[in-house]
Amino acid sequence: MLKQRNKVIGFLLLIGIITFCVSLSIGSVSVPVRDILKMIIYRLPFLNNWIKNEPAQKYELIILSLRLPRILLAMLVGSGLATAGATMQGLFRNSLASPYVVGVSSGSSFGAALAILFLPGIFSVPLSAFSTGLITIFLVYRISQRGTRVSIETLLLAGIAVGLFFSAITSLLMYVSAQSAHYLVFWMMGGFGGGNWRNVIASAPFIGFGIPAIYYFSRELNVMQLGEESAIHLGVEIEKIKKILLILSSLITASAVAVSGVIGFVGLIIPHITRIIVGPDHRILIPVSALIGGIFLIWCDSLARTIIAPVELPVGIITACFGAPFFIYLLKR
Amino acid sequence: MLKVKRINCCLGKNLILKDISFQLIKGDFLGIAGPNGSGKTTLLRTISGILPLTKGKVYLERKDIGKIDKKGIAKKIAMVPQNTFINFPFTAKEVVTMGRTPYLHRFERERKKDLKKVKESMLITKTWELRDKKITEISGGELQRVVIAQALAQDTELLFLDEPTSHLDINHELEILSLITRLNREHLLAVILVTHNLNLVARYCKKLILLKEGKIYAQGEVEDVLTSENIKNVYHIKALVKKHPLTGSIYTLPLCFDGKKENIRKKERIHLICGGGSGSTLMRELWDRGYEVSVGVINVFDADFETATLLNLPVVGEAPFSPITDESYRKNLRMIRDSEVTILAEVPFGKGNLLNLKTVKQALKERIKVVVINKTPIQERDYTKGEAMQIFEDLKRDGAVFVKNEAEALSLIEKTLSPDSVI
Repeated sequence: MLKQRNKVIGFLLLIGIITFCVSLSIGSVSVPVRDILKMIIYRLPFLNNWIKNEPAQKYELIILSLRLPRILLAMLVGSGLATAGATMQGLFRNSLASPYVVGVSSGSSFGAALAILFLPGIFSVPLSAFSTGLITIFLVYRISQRGTRVSIETLLLAGIAVGLFFSAITSLLMYVSAQSAHYLVFWMMGGFGGGNWRNVIASAPFIGFGIPAIYYFSRELNVMQLGEESAIHLGVEIEKIKKILLILSSLITASAVAVSGVIGFVGLIIPHITRIIVGPDHRILIPVSALIGGIFLIWCDSLARTIIAPVELPVGIITACFGAPFFIYLLKR
Repeated sequence: MLKVKRINCCLGKNLILKDISFQLIKGDFLGIAGPNGSGKTTLLRTISGILPLTKGKVYLERKDIGKIDKKGIAKKIAMVPQNTFINFPFTAKEVVTMGRTPYLHRFERERKKDLKKVKESMLITKTWELRDKKITEISGGELQRVVIAQALAQDTELLFLDEPTSHLDINHELEILSLITRLNREHLLAVILVTHNLNLVARYCKKLILLKEGKIYAQGEVEDVLTSENIKNVYHIKALVKKHPLTGSIYTLPLCFDGKKENIRKKERIHLICGGGSGSTLMRELWDRGYEVSVGVINVFDADFETATLLNLPVVGEAPFSPITDESYRKNLRMIRDSEVTILAEVPFGKGNLLNLKTVKQALKERIKVVVINKTPIQERDYTKGEAMQIFEDLKRDGAVFVKNEAEALSLIEKTLSPDSVI
């Protein structure tokens, strides 16, 4: 399969570009793909010499300020969650693990809830969600540490425990503050309704750095599937790599949650589907998961904003609607 | 190649290994055995650099193993664990290829020579035909062979095996250990085999370390270490250690638990007349049930004689291949007089041991209880031209109890000798 990696990736890139253009054009106002291409190319250096007459101005606001950042954000979050999911599944050697398994989502939700209730602002919510997400993973890590070693099983259990704790506090906050509860619920369902350039710029560095960084360790992830002790015997510095991968995937997850809320199932099912298509080798699983995750979430978001337009559905509902039946299918298989 | 110098190892606060020293040279096949919790696996993990030492040093080719990086160790030592679980559907070949990890840089694809080594290892272990099968779908024996192929692909001079066959059927066990023996002989691979199975050690290893409570109880050539005495002291069991005529290696046979026997000892004495292996089972059964057992008259080197010696029973022995002498006859009769019951096992009778039969007749005359096991009719085991048959008739007439087999004899004796019995 590794031999066909470039072919698969090339094919997915092509689909990605098509997805991008189509999803830019559809919506409450449909914009012809030709105009969109013109508009984008016109903004790029060098290439803009091709365009003879200036593109129509009327779509500019819709495309460049509303749809483009939103779609970029969906792509980033989708790729990020899928990669983090593939990493967690590899780390836990369990195909039922997801990016949220160590409690990052609950931690971030708690942070978001705090910010929404006590310190509302454009920056404060994602910032608070991001930092509590990281604090959670740090906490979980410290709990499961014995000397210099970290047992994966304890990590999982600690993640569940800490996650439940934060969920409980978040519920409590929601319960006592009736008027902001609606916004909080909406945030927790996940969506790109608030997608803007600021969010793209805030999350792009983490996700853009995180995915290649994880890819860098894909051989070690493969060897770890033999079990920790066997991996050590093959020369893998297991404790160090576990730590690095955990931090990287948590960074990605926390920044994704911070800008888009808790979007379920992407991180669980995308690595699954990818493994069925390209096999379990992380050297191909990681990049292909990222691509498929990005494409999948762009489509889900497009559906979420067009299916009952002008009303928007939270994208988390769409991914779960697709994700849950597929997940059940996998369990039953 | 590998030198272990006075190491200690702690897990948490418990001192697991105490003052362990040994050496391994090219072509060695070392077994490490000991009861559960004696530190076998810990020792293996310590000397492969996974667990830190609290005292002492391990040298790998004269270098302190603590100062060699993990990849460096991985190029020298390969490990086959007890079992491997792989949850994702890698192909067998992909798994074996992972054995080349220590030789590859990040992002580097496997080179021609890596793939050649992989194929070679898979051919030796007969896993090449499994190469495209998913690792999640092959049997336990196949998986273990794939794991061994991976260890071979690692191209090391040392191979550590931790109970590599404890989950396998005996045919797979034999197959895998024969394979390892061959690699040890032909490629001079130094092997350490950790196992709780003493017969595996005896058959395949050249040297042995016997661990007891984290210390080396004995080490050296297998034949010197694997003695009844050592087994008794380490495992607290009585075991038979013999050279097997077929394999040429020694084997052990655990007989019974050594401790606590004394408090169920019974006072009744039972005398057993047997020979040619006819009484061994009964001897052990009686001994197990706590009776005092005496045996006679048997030739030295007879199977029954060995059993009696092993169980430390009083026995009247006669020189090999010689007829029973009058002196032995009298000794035997004295033992019969000291016992409550005399059992006559299913022995074939010839001129040499006819006196044993006459002793029984004498015993009956002296009103001693006699039980005769008579499964095979006496006609078929009489080599005295009818003389033995004649005495048998006399025994029947004089009141000896005839039973069909050993089990019946045992239950009869238990009934007769139990304290609340009326008889």
